[in-house]
Amino acid sequence: MADLIFWLFWGLTVASASIVAFSKNLIYAVFSLLGTFIGVAAMYIFLNADFVAVTQIVIYVGGILVLLIFGIMLTNRITQTVISESSFQKMFGLTVVFAVLIMVLIPVLGHTWTNGEPMAFQETIHQIGTLLFTDYILLFEVASILLLGALIGAATLARKER
Amino acid sequence: MITVALLILLLPLLSFAIQIFFRKFIESKNGEWISIGIQLTTLGLAFYLFAVMIGHYDPHFRIEENVTWFNLGNFSLEMGILIDNISVIMLLVVALISSLVHIYSTEYMKGDIRFSRYYGFLGIFTFSMNGIVLANNFFMIYVFWELVGLSSYLLIGHWWEKNSAADASKKAFITNRVGDIGMFMGLMIIMTVLGTLNYQGVYTGIASGEWEGGIGTLFGGANPHTLLTWAGILLFMGAVGKSAQFPLHIWLPDAMEGPTPVSALIHAATMVAAGVYLTVRIFPILTPDAMATVAFIGGVTAFYAATIAITQNDIKKVLAYSTVSQLGYMIMALGTGAYVAGFFHLITHAMFKAGLFLASGSVIHAMHHALHDIKDHDTDAQDMRNMGGLKSKMPYTYLIFIVASLSISGIPFFSGFLSKDAILAGSWAYASTAHEGWLASMHMAWILPFFGFGAAVITAFYMFRLIFMTFFGESKRPDIFEKMHESPKAMTVPLMILAALSLFFFYTIPSINPFSTHGWFSHVIENPGTVVNFGSTFNLEHFEHANHEAHMPAMILSLIVATLGIGFATLVYLLKKVSAESLASKLGVLYKGSFNKWYMDEFYINGIIRPFLKGCDAVALFDMEYYDHYLINGAGRNTKKVSSGVGVADDLIVDGAVNFSGYIFQWLGWSLKFIQTGRIQNYLIFALIGVVAVFLLNAF
Amino acid sequence: MNLSQIVQDLGFLTPEILLTGLILLAIIYDLFLTKETSIRTGYLAIAGMAIVLFSLFAQNVEASQGLFNQMVAYDGYARYFKIIITLATILVMWMSFQNDELKNRTIGEYYQLMLVLVFGMFFLVSATNMLSIYLSLEIVSIMSYLLAGYLKENLRSNESAIKYVVFGGVSSGIMLYGISLIYGLTGSLNIYEIQASLAANAAISPALLMLAFVLVFVGFGYKIAAVPFHFWTPDVYEGAPATITAFLSVAPKAAGFAVLLRFLNTTLTLSGDPNNIALESLSNLDWPTLLAGVSAITMTVGNVVALQQTNIKRMLAYSSIAHAGYMLMGVVVMHHNGVSAILYYAGIYTLMNLGAFFVAIYIKNAFNTETISDYTGLGYKAPMIGIAMAVFMFSLTGLPPTGGFVAKFYLFRGLVGVGDTFIWLAIVGLINGVVSLYYYLRVLYFMYFKEMNFPDVYHRAPLQFNILIVIIIIPLLFGWMIGDPLSTWTASATSFFVP
Repeated sequence: MADLIFWLFWGLTVASASIVAFSKNLIYAVFSLLGTFIGVAAMYIFLNADFVAVTQIVIYVGGILVLLIFGIMLTNRITQTVISESSFQKMFGLTVVFAVLIMVLIPVLGHTWTNGEPMAFQETIHQIGTLLFTDYILLFEVASILLLGALIGAATLARKER
Repeated sequence: MITVALLILLLPLLSFAIQIFFRKFIESKNGEWISIGIQLTTLGLAFYLFAVMIGHYDPHFRIEENVTWFNLGNFSLEMGILIDNISVIMLLVVALISSLVHIYSTEYMKGDIRFSRYYGFLGIFTFSMNGIVLANNFFMIYVFWELVGLSSYLLIGHWWEKNSAADASKKAFITNRVGDIGMFMGLMIIMTVLGTLNYQGVYTGIASGEWEGGIGTLFGGANPHTLLTWAGILLFMGAVGKSAQFPLHIWLPDAMEGPTPVSALIHAATMVAAGVYLTVRIFPILTPDAMATVAFIGGVTAFYAATIAITQNDIKKVLAYSTVSQLGYMIMALGTGAYVAGFFHLITHAMFKAGLFLASGSVIHAMHHALHDIKDHDTDAQDMRNMGGLKSKMPYTYLIFIVASLSISGIPFFSGFLSKDAILAGSWAYASTAHEGWLASMHMAWILPFFGFGAAVITAFYMFRLIFMTFFGESKRPDIFEKMHESPKAMTVPLMILAALSLFFFYTIPSINPFSTHGWFSHVIENPGTVVNFGSTFNLEHFEHANHEAHMPAMILSLIVATLGIGFATLVYLLKKVSAESLASKLGVLYKGSFNKWYMDEFYINGIIRPFLKGCDAVALFDMEYYDHYLINGAGRNTKKVSSGVGVADDLIVDGAVNFSGYIFQWLGWSLKFIQTGRIQNYLIFALIGVVAVFLLNAF
Repeated sequence: MNLSQIVQDLGFLTPEILLTGLILLAIIYDLFLTKETSIRTGYLAIAGMAIVLFSLFAQNVEASQGLFNQMVAYDGYARYFKIIITLATILVMWMSFQNDELKNRTIGEYYQLMLVLVFGMFFLVSATNMLSIYLSLEIVSIMSYLLAGYLKENLRSNESAIKYVVFGGVSSGIMLYGISLIYGLTGSLNIYEIQASLAANAAISPALLMLAFVLVFVGFGYKIAAVPFHFWTPDVYEGAPATITAFLSVAPKAAGFAVLLRFLNTTLTLSGDPNNIALESLSNLDWPTLLAGVSAITMTVGNVVALQQTNIKRMLAYSSIAHAGYMLMGVVVMHHNGVSAILYYAGIYTLMNLGAFFVAIYIKNAFNTETISDYTGLGYKAPMIGIAMAVFMFSLTGLPPTGGFVAKFYLFRGLVGVGDTFIWLAIVGLINGVVSLYYYLRVLYFMYFKEMNFPDVYHRAPLQFNILIVIIIIPLLFGWMIGDPLSTWTASATSFFVP
């Protein structure tokens, strides 16, 4: 049963990601992204990572996706714009992608990965909180500087030159 | 001490900077006295060093300081100052003669168009010469070696409007380069084997057997002794160039195109002695074969140059060949192992030869003014045939000429007697003991004393020929004679100082025996012997013993030959018992040979330079016709063709294999440019291909 | 990690803390400035960087430390690169004052973004955890995108930024995949624990290990612009503001090499101690050969394409690719000499490349051209510019008596010193040196040996610029002489932190 659900979400993720990549309509692409995000969140749940799963939904679906949709709605005539999905070098590209896939798959499948002991579910929020403010405090702060920089950059790009 | 030495080294450079950068001021306000002041200061400092050195009175007195100039991995070059007895004495000589020349030049060069530049170049010369003397390693000496070469070039060509002066400066520079190439090769051999160029490092490196165990396969198979011989001879080649030894002596007589004070300073007393100084520094590492080579070249030069000096009519040319001959003496002395004698002669010769040159300058100066007064611009002011009877007109100059000539001829009570006698005794001793070195076989070494004594006769002869032709008899040109007068004080006072220094006792204090070299000089300068302790080596003890034995006979013989020379000159030129012209015609070929310097210049021009130039022409033709045409222009043409879309293979065939390599890079760049399409999608695909390729190539 | 440990570790981060304070101060100060006065943020930034530099010199790195649960290292190696980065930043900020492209616009954010970029590089060079490596790499990348696109109204600048973002995003994604493979293999992100696990487990198939390594190397390779991850370089370098191009070609590249070298010599060696004089790669992962190949291709492609360039900025962009190839030669030797050679090269390269870019920028400002063939007669018209360019070109070619020669000499010595394995690479390097001679000296050819093309007026560069150039030239010409301070310094800077 669990396996079936897993493969369902797997299918959802891949299918909606394909639509994002290949759709000619921007609105369709954005809405398909929703499926991808939800599928990925489900993967996290299968990994017992409840906090990450919830964060995934809250941030990506609740934040980024909504922002994207706002962006599209506020931009004039973007709904009619056909994205230039030029199909040049299609075969070439596909071949390379396929080669990369083979390259990754053969060694990865050839390795006997050690399987961890199946664990019972336990909530992770508490641990994450503790780790973020002890072992990972430095990276937490560095990440905040990254966000600060990104904020400055965003403001710069958005600002009209006076 | 080191600070004082650094000051002596750098003060003349300051003088150079002042003279070059404040030219207007110098030329309007007697600015040359700034340079003279600086020079006198260095003289004072040199005296201080000398006093300290005498205070120690120790043959092994030595102060050394080193800084690393730069490192390249394991290879590092050092700069350093070495103060020992030799360098202190040399410093004093350089500072003294340089000061005197500075003062002398105020009158001699008065009104010259490049007056301040002249003083500036004197400054940079003194700086470089001090650098040679103070260097503590062979690389540094090489650097300053080139610097003196440059300043010599600049000063010889001081009147570069005259073609002969410009040519002479070029000749001097290029001839010196020939020797320097050998010197550089010698440096590289030593650096490769021992990894150091510091004097002491090299000596200890050889003494400790490091050379014997080092790489030694350049010449003579695996024999390190042969390699050391070559290193010594190659280093000595630098001295051959700089000290104008046979066969690279040809530049020195031409260098007389420079102002006479410059000839006195650079081409008689100091720079040309740098070669002897270098030989002094490499003396301990010379193998017997190398020593024999050095001695032979010195002997040949001494004799050969003397034979040319007999027939020259230009007063400075006579002195120039005399200088070459005397330098040959010094070199021969070092080659025969008479280390102290060689260095001693360097010092005494510096004094009396500088005196002779400055005195001849005084004559020339007077001649010039006289010619100027009678508005004669065609007569050669340096030709002795236009002089004569100047004794009464220029008494001081005459007196000084006499003193210096007696000294150079080797007459007792003068310094030249002591040093020359020591050299002759050394060559005698070498001939009687030489068991090592290639001169040892078949008594060949006896050729050295023969050269030595032969040159001594001739020296005495041509010096007095010069004096008799210039100062005695009747003037050949009464019109000039009437206008002649003695030179001003600024010129005669330095002359007197130099003449005084040609007296023996300055060098033998506290002993005052005019027939013995014993004194402070022979105490502080000590024959270091050799550090070569494998294969055949120079035996210092044997030599000293033989030297002692040879001393007396050599002295007597040298007195006899000096008297002979002077006497013969008196017969021919003063009493006119024998006609010089009939002698010349009787000796025919010999006279012509000597007069034409044994055709050495002609040999170089026809035997080496012309064929070389012909070869150059051939190469140039090839260069223009083939290399330029196909390779250089071809590359340009190709790029043009390629970019206009002409086929690639065609070009390869048309332009042939000559430009293939240049072309292949151009083509590669051109074709790779197309990968840079500007499309980000392509970039990513290529990057991914790269990932796959890198992975495939390395994982399997 | 408890509070006292955190407080104690913070004491070792003085320069980073000062830098953070500086960033915040610059943001706040900029709020009070108008468009015309916004240049003052730059003055503030340059003064602050000077203080940071001072605090770096004040650090005592005798006892190296792992900080914050070994997220970053505190050692002489990291400090050396931080000093180079700080110096480069100061020089570039100074030059930015004189860059005409940046005149008449609000400029405060330019300096703020640069400061954040520097912050990222500081962490990059000292990172010892895959997480901190990735995070700091991202800071560097994102700030670089923003700076490359700083000239918003300029289409080329926009295009370069977009290309940069896409290429960078893909590379960083691929690298992340490699990191996840490594995590899967070893169960840790700490590079020392990864090393211990990899060295203990020789059963991992070489192919898998190679895959993980290659994927991680994509991220590094993109940062140092090694072929085939260099494609973004020419476009970005051409489109970005010229001062930023100069900055990107030296500082992030040096930082990339710093982290790459630390990662390789610590994680992928048998002993795991990069302080050893000679190292050995993991028995089932022959990365030196891989990197030797990358090095050869990188320098060849860089040089060969540079031959064809007519625009000075593009030429320098390709030449910087070639220099990355040279520096990779030092990585493959796995020897103390190789490490110190890279440190030395990084220092010299920073100076000479910045110098060359600065002169190019100046010429663009004063004579409004970036085409090399328009430089005719410049050597006579503006002697100072000509001489400076000559020194930089000689140095970039690697001719004596410049620092570039010595730096290259050390690289080759390192390569030849470890035996015959990589002689072929040294030969490739030498041939490339000859090829590079052609296009570097072509600049001088136009400056000196072509007839004048400019009006016959003597051009005098402003004092501010001359001082800047002299500051760069003096260490380049004389820094390696008289005791060779730089090499003594690099020899002492090869001390890595090891737990």
